[in-house]
Order: sequence, then structure tokens, then C-alpha cells
Amino acid sequence: MARRIVVTSGKGGVGKTTTTANLGAALAMRGKRVVLVDADIGLRNLDLVLGLEKRIVFDLVEVVEGRCQLRQALIRDKRFGESLAILPAAQTRDKTAVSENQFAKVLDDLAEMCDYVIVDCPAGIEHGFRNAIAGVREAIVVTTPEVSAIRDADRVIGKLNERGLPMRLIINRIRPEMVRSGDMLSVEDVCEILSAELLGIVPDDEDVIDTTNRGEPIALNTDSRLGAIFEKIARRLEGEIVPFTALNAPTFLSRFLGRKAG
Amino acid sequence: MHELREEPLPAAPPAPHARGRCIVVTSGKGGVGKTTTTANVGVALAATGARVALIDADVGLRNLDIVLGLEARVRHHVLDVLEGHAEIDDALVSDKRVPGLKLLAASQTREKDDVDTAAFKGLVDTLRERFDYVLIDCPAGIEKGFQNAIAGADEAIVVCTPEVSAVRDADRVVGLLGDRMKITLIVNRLRPALVRRGKMLSVDDVNAILRLPLLGVIADEPGVIVATNKGEPIALDPASPTGEAYRKIAGRIVGTDTSTPEIPREATFFGKLFGGQR
Repeated sequence: MARRIVVTSGKGGVGKTTTTANLGAALAMRGKRVVLVDADIGLRNLDLVLGLEKRIVFDLVEVVEGRCQLRQALIRDKRFGESLAILPAAQTRDKTAVSENQFAKVLDDLAEMCDYVIVDCPAGIEHGFRNAIAGVREAIVVTTPEVSAIRDADRVIGKLNERGLPMRLIINRIRPEMVRSGDMLSVEDVCEILSAELLGIVPDDEDVIDTTNRGEPIALNTDSRLGAIFEKIARRLEGEIVPFTALNAPTFLSRFLGRKAG
Repeated sequence: MHELREEPLPAAPPAPHARGRCIVVTSGKGGVGKTTTTANVGVALAATGARVALIDADVGLRNLDIVLGLEARVRHHVLDVLEGHAEIDDALVSDKRVPGLKLLAASQTREKDDVDTAAFKGLVDTLRERFDYVLIDCPAGIEKGFQNAIAGADEAIVVCTPEVSAVRDADRVVGLLGDRMKITLIVNRLRPALVRRGKMLSVDDVNAILRLPLLGVIADEPGVIVATNKGEPIALDPASPTGEAYRKIAGRIVGTDTSTPEIPREATFFGKLFGGQR
């Protein structure tokens, strides 16, 4: 029986979809069988981030409505052999097209087929959010070190607590030089405000914009800084104790010479 | 895909006693800068002497109050007014830094489904009798919160970042808005250096898909994050080029600025070295 995890945040645009794709990729590269579910019916994007948009034939709503088999709707990402697949959301329907029970049923069925089912939750705390958390057993909350994102994350964590769902935190898009200059909240600040256990710290990296636009999750490249970070997050998720990478700001000289920071 | 629109940018300021203009700031995708845009365009419009009301339509996940630094002064919110628990005047928070600017905050402990779309539109109509501009900060998504936010608007500003997912969502929103209202585009968080290196979509790439009249382009700069965290919209900063970009956007909305939106340029190496990054 697979672990069932939702990636959520409250606020949009903090990196739920990118995190889902890269975490899925990192787990798949470790030999786990992973299915990623896009719960953002009407505004799907997980397919784009993985470069699978042209291969969509069926979607989540069609599965629920019995118009195709679950297996027919899954799109295998061939870069990961048999390990990674996505279940795309419908683009021309809305979130009320699926009920919480129907969503949970799909997750139950997927859990029979793989090791990890990871749900990419839509922004907000309405119907789409309730669907996305309906069938999961644990949650990853993604936030950025911005006051608005933290306020929304706090609201979501409250809702997860009501459901008794255990959660861990990924702090995304940290800019170490801004933390150092006092212009950005630090990892410690964010953890303290949200009183949450940390799963990962992901620095702001311009390569993510580019790889996301090209549909190539950065986790595919384990030599890249972020690829190594997602690999560590995957190992933590699997129960390993992995120290957090120190996020030293690049010094002027290292930036000048084009070296990567720690 | 929708038709190419070749309408001019919004023209002439409203005549005295005319109903104010209602503009919804929307995007589909979250986190592209709707709230920051609403706050800064609102500040810049009010700085022209206009009376401006900002409404946060993100019931349950409000943030416009934080971005404006007014969170400690919110007493009543949209649903209090709609449900008759507060008068509009008691719910409107004045921004003391900018005369003429008021905020109507969203309810934090309620949900979007609690808001009746027709009643929300009625509230917007009431505010349009008293303000020159009513700006609505739309929540992410295309569900009930979006329907509420667009109900009373007759113009929309679509905010989009140069990312394929944001463009796809914006395109969906433009399709949903259809011919119901005039739509203009703000491209947000452009990194000119990445565009030059072919690692980010350009403004032209974005608008090759969206095909909207361009209202402005805002660069990605750390100053915006700092300003947002402090609750001091960057449009208040007379020395900031990004603040100036918002002031120009306001000028284009009012109709006093007919210039073509500028594409932000790269900070030079020496500019960075000597702290002139902005």
C-alpha cells in the first residue's frame, strides 16, 4: 500500500507543482514507483512542468465518471522507466466535477499500484483543497519566506490539524543574501511562526524557471544544486536522517567566478 | 484561443459625478502578483488625486491588508457588510499615507462560498457611487471566488509572469472573461538578464499567446519582496524604478500617460557593484 501525500500551501505560486514534480522525480530516481495526481481541475499545470502535456488522452474527471480505466489515464514519464506516472486534471471542467469521496476512491486505487501517491493541491482552501486532502494520510506544506505565504500556510496547517493529518514543511525560494541582510525571514523564523517540522529548504534558483518552462524537472540532474537538494528531501521522506545543507550566500568572488554556492 | 484585441488603453478619467470604474486584478494562477499589483496600482492611482477603494475578494486567505501594512487596523470585513453586521464606512480602512485610498478587507475565517455573488456586485456598485476607482483583488483559481470578484467589474487587469504555467492559466482566464470586459495585461517579475540568455520568456513571447493591450511590465527585484513584507507598497517610494513603473501604469489607466510600456533593462555590473541595482 502506497504512502499518500498531499503537497499544499494555501497561497498560489509558492511552488506546489514544481515541488510535486521534483519530489516525484527524486523518489522515482531512487527506484520508487510514484504516481503524481494533479488536483487543480480547470487550471492544470503538472503536465506542463513535466513536459507531458502533449500526451494527455484521458484525465481524472473521466476516470471518476467511468469513461476510461484508471490505467488508461496514467501517463508514464519515460525518462524514469516504469517508475513515474501522472494522472492529469481535466482542463475544461471545474473543481466541483469531483467529490471528496470520488477523489479518495481514486487515491485508494492508485495506492494499490505504487509506492507513493503524491497529490498536487490547487491554491485556496475551498472545494479543490478538500478534494486534494480527502484521500491522503500525510501532508507537505510548501511556503516561501514571505508574510503573505506564511499567513496562508498557517491557515492551511490549521485545517490539516483538524483532519489529524501529520505535516512537514518545505521552505521554498529562500534567498540567502536577503536573509543575511535582514530583508527576508530566515528558515528559523518561518519554522517558529508555523511551529512545524522541517522537511526541506530550497533556495531561489533561476535555473528552476528555465527547466520548468522546458518541462524538465531539475531533479533529473543530480549534479545541479537543486537536484541534490530534492534527492535529500526524498531521502528524508523515506526516513533517513539527512542534515540540512547550509545555505551560504554566494560571496562576491564566487559569483564573479561562476562557482556554485554550498 | 481568443481574438486579437486592438482596443486602445483605457481612456479619459471619469467625468465628475460619473460612476467610478471597477477594475478586477486577476490571473488564474496564484502567486503571480495580483495582490502586490492591486496595492501598488491603488496607491499610485490615489496619488494622482483619485478616490480609490481596494476590495480583497480572497475570503479565507486575505493578504491585501498585510501588503498595505493595514492588518492591525481591520475591524470589519466584506462579509460583515454583506450580512448587515457593519456599515460600509465602518469597514473601510483609510490608508493614512495616501489620502483617498481605502481598503475593504476580506473575511479571514469564512469561505468564498459564503459570499453571494449578486450581493457582492451590489456592494461594488455602491462603492462606485463614491469612488473614482474600485480595484478588486481576485483570488487564485476560477471558481466561486473568481466569479464573485469579476461580477461587478467592467475592466480587468490580467497579471502574468513569464512562465508557461502562468501564461496557460492567464489564457484560460481571458477565455472565461470573454467579451464581458476590457482586458489589459501586466507582465510581472520579468528578469531581463534571463530573457537575454534565452532562459525566460520575453514580454513578446507572453503576449504572442495572450494578445492583450500591454498596460505595464514590472521587473523582478528584491525590493518588492522587502516592501511587501514591511507593508509599504513600493509605489510609495519616489526613488524606485519599480515604483515609477506602477505610477506610469496608473497614468495609463487614468489616461494621462500615453507612452508605450517600457521593458525593464538589466542592471549593469557596475550598477550592481555600487548598489545601484534598482
